[in-house]
Amino acid sequence: MTDAWTDRLSDYLDGDLDHRDREALDAHLPGCAACTETLAALGTVVARARRLSERSPATDLWPGIAARLESTRGPLRLRTPRFGGWRVSFTVLQLAAAALALVLLSSGTMWLALRRHAAAPTIGTTPTTGTAPATTSPAGPDGAVADFGFARYDAAVADLERVLAQHRSELDPATVRVIEDNLRIIDRATAEARKALAADPANPYLNGHLADQMRRKVELLRQATALIHA
Amino acid sequence: MERSDPRDASPDIVAEGAPGVADREDVVRARAGDTRAFERIYRRHVPRVYGLTRRMMGQEWADELTQDVFVRAWEKLGTFRGEAAFGTWLYRLAINVVLTRRAWLGTQRRRLDDQEDTLGSVPARPAMTDLGMDFETAMERLPEGAREVFVLHDVEGYKHEEIAGMLGVTSGTTKAQLHRARMMLRRHLEA
Repeated sequence: MTDAWTDRLSDYLDGDLDHRDREALDAHLPGCAACTETLAALGTVVARARRLSERSPATDLWPGIAARLESTRGPLRLRTPRFGGWRVSFTVLQLAAAALALVLLSSGTMWLALRRHAAAPTIGTTPTTGTAPATTSPAGPDGAVADFGFARYDAAVADLERVLAQHRSELDPATVRVIEDNLRIIDRATAEARKALAADPANPYLNGHLADQMRRKVELLRQATALIHA
Repeated sequence: MERSDPRDASPDIVAEGAPGVADREDVVRARAGDTRAFERIYRRHVPRVYGLTRRMMGQEWADELTQDVFVRAWEKLGTFRGEAAFGTWLYRLAINVVLTRRAWLGTQRRRLDDQEDTLGSVPARPAMTDLGMDFETAMERLPEGAREVFVLHDVEGYKHEEIAGMLGVTSGTTKAQLHRARMMLRRHLEA
């Protein structure tokens, strides 16, 4: 049961009502069992939230973080220009030479990677069922194509979607709605990543992001089908 | 501007306890590139950062976002000025990472929409009840807007004005979302 004061009870609990409203609600509460009960329940919710305990992740995340720190700009290299008390400086000519060396190195690496990729198809990219999308495959951190090939991905998704479609009526409509909402979000993120990759195929972040979305979709579909079989 | 941690009873640096002192020493070392010092920082703070990411974004994102937070912290250590406790700075950064990811996912625009009561409405089977659902699970099932305001206010201790600033909404909206979340959770506790 609700009345005009019900929606003000949280403000009352938090001390956010002005003086006049607080006095009015103080006068209202003794005669209103519903508001008194709701106020007590809201207080219980707040107390429960404050008592929540923290817990560490199920797996240690530090190894993954440490690996990423290796490839990222550290605070020292980013912020401190001095080494051993001597300021390191370069002439424009030295910087230009370094830049040229980097360009040559990058080009050579890319040429080798493309050559290797063309010579040896990656496991999982051999079409089995369905057709591989005509977009760049997601690459792993070392530049190699991820072992989760597009064809295998499409086949896995198709299988899971078929199971889900067949047993859809066995699930609660609200559950189906949540699953479909999440699938839409993942599909949208996947489409955006693919679009961005078309303009920047070598971008490691985009490749990783696309691979993440693909894995997420398969995982979500697996969870959904697990609900059916539960 | 670094603010004091809303969950710290004594946010003043002078009054900070052993973890705060250890943080300061390790931050100095980590800034110099000492990853072991940064690992100690990680060990001290990962439970709360993980709790924040899990409650704000759900279990499926928590690991990845927790890693993102610490990588970002490593990159930005140079911007920590020591005006408040390191934890305060880190948790604020964590909230930024979470909100940025949410925007990237395109869910930002759906954040404060008026969905129907999601809590308790997603049983695996039509006849299944959620009587065994714990409080954390009930929180995860709140609509996004209500959940993030509830986490930031009632769990993390931020004020409405601060939350409104983070989310780009009015404090009237955050108050309404908070009340909505509490009312939904109250029904769960009564179940």
